[in-house]
Amino acid sequence: MAKIGLYLCECGPNIADAIDLDRVAAEIEKDGKVAGIERHKLFCSADGKKFLAESIKKNGFERFVIAACSPKQHEGTFAEVASDVGLNPQMFQLVNIREQCAWTVPDKEQATGKALRFIRAAVTRVQYHQALEQKEIDCNPDVFVIGGGIAGIEVALRTAHKGRKVFLAEKGELGGMLKERGLLFPAMEPAGDFLGPRIDALRNNPQIELFENCKVKEVLGFFGSFVALLETQEGKEIELKAGSVVLATGAQAFNPKELAEYGYGKLDGVYTADEIEKRGVGKLLTESAKPVKSVAVIHCVGRDKLGYCSKMCCVNSMKIARQIREQSAETEVVELYRDLCLPGKGYDRFYKETEAKGVKFARFESVEVTGGDSGLTVKYKQPGGTGAELAVDMVVLSTGLAANPSNPELADMLSISVDESGFFVEEHAVLNPVSTMTEGVFIAGCARGPGDTRDTIVQASATAGKVLSSLVPGKRLQLETRTSEVSEKLCVGCGTCVTVCAYGATTLDESRHIAVVNEVLCRGCGNCASACPSGAAKHRHFTTRQLNQEVTEILK
Amino acid sequence: MADDGAARQLDKEILSPKPGIQSPAEGGGDFQPRIVGFLCNWCSYAGADLAGVTRLKMPPSMVAIRVMCSSRVDPLFVLKAFLAGADGVLVAGCHPGDCHYQTGNYYTRRRFALTLKVLEELGLEANRVRLSWVSASEGGRFAEVVTEFTETIRKAGPNPAKTEVFL
Repeated sequence: MAKIGLYLCECGPNIADAIDLDRVAAEIEKDGKVAGIERHKLFCSADGKKFLAESIKKNGFERFVIAACSPKQHEGTFAEVASDVGLNPQMFQLVNIREQCAWTVPDKEQATGKALRFIRAAVTRVQYHQALEQKEIDCNPDVFVIGGGIAGIEVALRTAHKGRKVFLAEKGELGGMLKERGLLFPAMEPAGDFLGPRIDALRNNPQIELFENCKVKEVLGFFGSFVALLETQEGKEIELKAGSVVLATGAQAFNPKELAEYGYGKLDGVYTADEIEKRGVGKLLTESAKPVKSVAVIHCVGRDKLGYCSKMCCVNSMKIARQIREQSAETEVVELYRDLCLPGKGYDRFYKETEAKGVKFARFESVEVTGGDSGLTVKYKQPGGTGAELAVDMVVLSTGLAANPSNPELADMLSISVDESGFFVEEHAVLNPVSTMTEGVFIAGCARGPGDTRDTIVQASATAGKVLSSLVPGKRLQLETRTSEVSEKLCVGCGTCVTVCAYGATTLDESRHIAVVNEVLCRGCGNCASACPSGAAKHRHFTTRQLNQEVTEILK
Repeated sequence: MADDGAARQLDKEILSPKPGIQSPAEGGGDFQPRIVGFLCNWCSYAGADLAGVTRLKMPPSMVAIRVMCSSRVDPLFVLKAFLAGADGVLVAGCHPGDCHYQTGNYYTRRRFALTLKVLEELGLEANRVRLSWVSASEGGRFAEVVTEFTETIRKAGPNPAKTEVFL
């Protein structure tokens, strides 16, 4: 039997006060399964790690169990110590006697009992641990960006600036939603002044290869080695290779045609905010058949249908309202809002400035636009239920942002998800907001949800940073070690494991009639090992034997 | 999720406590149930950690076994645990739709339904097993699940497999 060492971490007072470590040591020693037991105040400290490494070497332990905190916190720390002393990093078991014992069981006697069960299970389990090889593959540091809006452009420029080769595919023209914007909140700078030079920089950068009017047909592969297939408008196929994929597919303005109450598409003089921005406020005012004396701007168009507040539309409509006031002082502008969304720096000031320019604000609960010979009538219900009416010459519908309809198809290709609104789902909404569940696939801008230009730039910079730090040229990628394997002898080639694998990592070798695992694609969930009816599929480090031994020992 | 309605129904069926067979041990105050909890690494194990970090108290009855995904829990592990003397077995994973491995927990749910059938055949009460979805941010829910389940098992009494031979 392998020589096993047991290490008990006091974690300052965290464990030492809650668990009787002397009794634990005495009982485990009595079991006679470990060759030595040592204690330390804090194994994860520099001093603790040094102590651990020296003790393992001095005692010649071949495996060890460390009773301390959650493996989610320090499994990596102790795996490093194992490697440093020449042990395979799988040759230890970290027992969680802090979070799941010391901190949840107030009675010291009971906590000690639970800790003993935990530790005994680990001492048994570690005997069945097997060394696993850390495999590495070459990584391709090139970047594939999908979407040529400001998010995609920004990621491409920032990653290319650091020397990466970038491929950018755009299904239409470059510029995205921004190319149709007039002025930008908060400083009211023309969007073109900002977008134009960036598009020029993109076109002139030798590191960036652009594929305009190209559709993404397929993306295969994995982090460090993706292969994408593009299709041009003429039906020509282009293949390209990259190590990471950035989804910058943007969003699109909600189309209010489906909501009858706004009369959009039926009544003259009803425009969406986007149309106004595209045509320019001044042009619209001067080219109108009759003078525009009054304008109603209706907020929250599509909010109920979309199921969320798009955040950027409130200031966007204020931008239009103040431009109308600036260009035509005799035009009355009323902003009809349900709620004003003005979070963050500069927003509230912008609202006050807009008010100071003579734009009126009125709150509504429901609204309806009707047309007649004399112009448009906006009937609305105020909070409290009283009705009100405005006769206006023009109505501006401030629409929210809807997800890009091509998102679900791309999500399918890349094994990630879209939420109920069609936006890509982040790896973690708070902690990992620009990465996804598929390693090497990132998101930026409105592809992950509505936001304004500033949000998009922030995210694109974050995404570029993630891409640059995760794929460093020359670095080899370490693969998941705890993957699955299929025993050639036991496999009957039924294909069950192929059907349960979410990553296409298991495939049938038709010539040998057995399943094979692609270790590069395998993420190590172990589903195939549970599904395999003949016991041929094995989940490394979570083998049936290891888990059964753990279970049995816990229950002794 | 297309099968959400059906899934909820199944959850309800699986998770609602069923009346346990009265055991002689019921009423005996010192019966400390032994429960094995298979927790998925990404959600439920993290939820259990969070319960600790926030110092939520719970009975010491459940000892966790970490698996990467709840889909690693072969129904045989559950049976093995009962054979080895567990009074209850908990399987916990990410909420439907939130699986770290995309669809693993849907497999868990189906396998769990199957496990219940097997237990029924063997004559072991269905309320000795529990499938719960606990996310990484639901420390409170984790503590509730463990406390409730411990109570259920305490009422059900020791695993009859220890004395009645049917496995």
